Amino acid sequence: MNKFIILSIFSVTFSYSQEYYFYAAAESDDTVSLINFDGETAVELERIPVGSMKTEIEGPHGLTVDPSGDYWYLSLAHGNPYGSLVKFSTETNRPIDKTTLGLFPASMQISSLTGLLYCVNFNLHGAMKPSSVSVVDPETMTEIKQIQTGVMPHGSRISPNGRYQYSVAMMSGELFEVDALTLEVNRTLSLDENHSMSHGGMHHSPVKPTWVMPHPTEPKVYIAGNGSDEIIEVNTALWEITNRINTGKGPYNIDISADGKFLVATLKSDAKTLVWELDKKNPSIISNNSTVPHGVVISPDSKYAFVTVEGVGGDPGLVDVIDLEKAKVVSSVNIGKQAGGIAFWKIEE
Amino acid sequence: MKKTLLNLIISALILTTTSMYSQELIVKSNLENLTMRVGETFKPTSFAEDLEGQKTMCQAVIYYNKKGVFSTAKAVTVDRDKGTIRANEPGTHEIVALCIGQEGQRLSRTFPVQVDFPKAKEIKITLTSAKVYEGSYIPLEFEVVDEMNFTRKNEFFQLSSGSENIQIDAFNNVKAVSPGKAILSASFDDISTTLTIDVLSNPINKLELKASLDVSRTGDVVNYEAVGYDINGNQLEGLPFTYTFSGKAIDKSNNASGLIMNDGRFVADVIGDYMISASLGTSSASRPLKVVGRGVEREVLKVGKGVVSDKHTSDFWVFEGVDGRDYAVTGTWGADGTSFFWDVTDPANIKKIDSVKVDARTVNDVKVSQDGRISVIGREGASDRKNGIIILDVSNPYDVKILSEYTKNLTGGVHNVFIDNDHVYALSGSQRYFVINIEDPKNPVEVGMFEVGKEGQSIHDVWIEDGIAYSSNWRDGVYLVDVGNGIADGSPSNPVAFANYDYATGAHHATFPFKSKSTGKFYTVLGDEIFPDGVDENNPNITAGFLHFVDFSDLDNPVEVAKYELPGQGSHNYWIEDDVLYVAMYGGGVRIVDISGDLLGDLYRQGREIGYIMTGTSNGYIPNATMAWGAQLYKGYVFYSDWNNGLGSSKVSELKPDNSKANQYINKTPIID
Repeated sequence: MNKFIILSIFSVTFSYSQEYYFYAAAESDDTVSLINFDGETAVELERIPVGSMKTEIEGPHGLTVDPSGDYWYLSLAHGNPYGSLVKFSTETNRPIDKTTLGLFPASMQISSLTGLLYCVNFNLHGAMKPSSVSVVDPETMTEIKQIQTGVMPHGSRISPNGRYQYSVAMMSGELFEVDALTLEVNRTLSLDENHSMSHGGMHHSPVKPTWVMPHPTEPKVYIAGNGSDEIIEVNTALWEITNRINTGKGPYNIDISADGKFLVATLKSDAKTLVWELDKKNPSIISNNSTVPHGVVISPDSKYAFVTVEGVGGDPGLVDVIDLEKAKVVSSVNIGKQAGGIAFWKIEE
Repeated sequence: MKKTLLNLIISALILTTTSMYSQELIVKSNLENLTMRVGETFKPTSFAEDLEGQKTMCQAVIYYNKKGVFSTAKAVTVDRDKGTIRANEPGTHEIVALCIGQEGQRLSRTFPVQVDFPKAKEIKITLTSAKVYEGSYIPLEFEVVDEMNFTRKNEFFQLSSGSENIQIDAFNNVKAVSPGKAILSASFDDISTTLTIDVLSNPINKLELKASLDVSRTGDVVNYEAVGYDINGNQLEGLPFTYTFSGKAIDKSNNASGLIMNDGRFVADVIGDYMISASLGTSSASRPLKVVGRGVEREVLKVGKGVVSDKHTSDFWVFEGVDGRDYAVTGTWGADGTSFFWDVTDPANIKKIDSVKVDARTVNDVKVSQDGRISVIGREGASDRKNGIIILDVSNPYDVKILSEYTKNLTGGVHNVFIDNDHVYALSGSQRYFVINIEDPKNPVEVGMFEVGKEGQSIHDVWIEDGIAYSSNWRDGVYLVDVGNGIADGSPSNPVAFANYDYATGAHHATFPFKSKSTGKFYTVLGDEIFPDGVDENNPNITAGFLHFVDFSDLDNPVEVAKYELPGQGSHNYWIEDDVLYVAMYGGGVRIVDISGDLLGDLYRQGREIGYIMTGTSNGYIPNATMAWGAQLYKGYVFYSDWNNGLGSSKVSELKPDNSKANQYINKTPIID
């Protein structure tokens, strides 16, 4: 992380050409692609087969890279029935270790404070009951605890100081704050105010939050209201909703640039990506090169957003590269089918 | 120059940053050398210490059992509220202390914690035979019950005896030497007990060994019965005979091998001369057995192929259409949601006649109703993640039409389906299956559901025959569920489980019920699916696992009696008809195996293979790479699908294999017909 910060500082001062590297998962091909973007063109360097059952789709879903840059971690959504977390070396892109998690493990991140990995068990296709956040020590690849949260938790992201893990429960419409040190739920917040809906006594969130992203410098988190077509701003100091911003249809994943300037959200149902300068009123809406945009990650220098786009059926998945200042797609590269999880690895001069 | 200066600045900054975290620290804890007893709790305290012994307090310490949160980690559990650990099971366990430093850097150390068995409170020796005869080894079991009421079997007791009529060796084998009372003393953990053994004199004056056959084929189960007579010629009952065998294979480079059971059943694997013996103490009787080749090998001829060269192929189904012609449907895997329809009326001339493309990446399973009118295909990887099933009108397979889509409760992907009497049995998210009435195929209605009901339940397949659903549930094994048979008052809307069998590997992937025509016995044949080395896209994949033959003649006491395991290749889908098994063994092609007669032991080693087909083709998706997926006998032809190659047909010939081209140095062994 320190290297990234240092490199970011100097990248502003000196205009060397930058090489960006990131990983993107193809959920229906059981592959992960390593992609390089040189500022002009994105190229798939390697397509890495993942999973262990040749004739079963195991569904690589979430990705994250260790703060050291030495390892990447992948959640495999499907198992018998539990999914798993696999640790890979960035040097060889070969698996090193694996541990079982809960049902349909999805997005995850590693806390800079504890060094632990927090992965939500999305349980996308299971019963409408609370699921959990798995806490894993990535050194020993041991699942330490499953912390119960809401129904269909998704979007595991860590506060900048590493102290809190945030996730949203898609079907129960809640924001959860987990204390990364005590491994307990610290606070919850219903996102469904004025939006309540109930079927036979079971709460079904009309907001259907699918992602939460902390602001890098301000006490705020931004939530994708996939069902209510909005971005919800929550002030974490006040622990209340402070803004609701209408978007296009189906905002799904969110990232915020390290400088706090840009919020980028995939609009899954619109085949578009929203790029919003947070201090301006109107966001830009950018068309993707295929349908069903899914994941997004912004380069640490706050210049580019890399967006995975699933496609449909036999379409290849792809990654669109968006120049944030220009608010346009500047490159695109095909990867495996149903491109989803994405994680940034490194910038090289 | 500017660049050099910059690099120096960067290097200096990085070095400074790194050195802040490079102090050599180690976690110190009172967990070190900790020994606990089962049931005890302990409050660990930990801190960090540098090389000079300077102590640094942690911002927080997180303790965890290195085996994780699941069942095996219950040996030592962590109570985070109380900050304690509790020892629940004996053994050496690993506890990790993760220290979060004041500045956020993490430091961890693993501590082995010894948990001792509680003190024994009772020990038992049990004689497992009703009678002990002179000259026999005495069958004993040893058991310890400790203060926490844990029971441990077969611990090593200190045995001794003052009785001269029994002998004890260094491994606790106890031999009855001569008749009379014997006292066996045992001690463990300062507790002692004794067992009085009544060693009987050998009553046998004459011993006879009866056999069901004296000449058998490999794989034939021969039944032996030892009968002892006393001095008056009276038959003795209830004698605990021991059965053994020896033998010599015809092939000098091979061993005579087989399996003999305590009840006197014997099966030979290889051709040769065997000697079967029964003994009791010093009395024994032997009987020779000549074992000849099974002689079931036949030529298997490839007849036709329907190659799919641009996608992986998954499952298939061959059926008779309403027009009396013969058709097949195949699915595709990791592709674009296409299913293909084929005219296979002439198996030598398989024709692709139609296709259906749906929103999916994988159509793993395809099935057709008994009347040939309806096909159901399962979806995985749908773009809207609703997956479910698609119901097709295949009354004209040249013009297949989509009738309906059904996704309720099936959004997790439908990996396998079955159609039986207007009901679809569809897997849901690999955890349960739903029963859907399709009497009106445009308006399917869910009527029932079955799940094992255990935490972590998982399912891979379901197959229906005679109103019984056989579900394959990985570690929970096969469940036999009444969905209309009547055996347990079940119905499609009220599935009732009435029998179950599981096995240790937990790799149970498919089931085929098998009523043996030759013996009348009822088996379930349970298939594994195992990829022991994971996935390698660039090389042939290693597969493992085999078929387990479970005798279900007694539903309450199923017994696994035999296996079919092809060395180096794992099992996938299979079909059984007329006591012949047709099994896709991935890289080993389709194997055709004689499973007639009683089944016991290792069927592959018994020379039961009739023949095989390597299912690769030169123009497959991956050329010449055999990856057999499934097989089906249909109107005398063996149809199969191959993951890399599509659909194929073959025929088992009446002819024996042509050996004229065989290596002259291969040692031919005798067979009889």
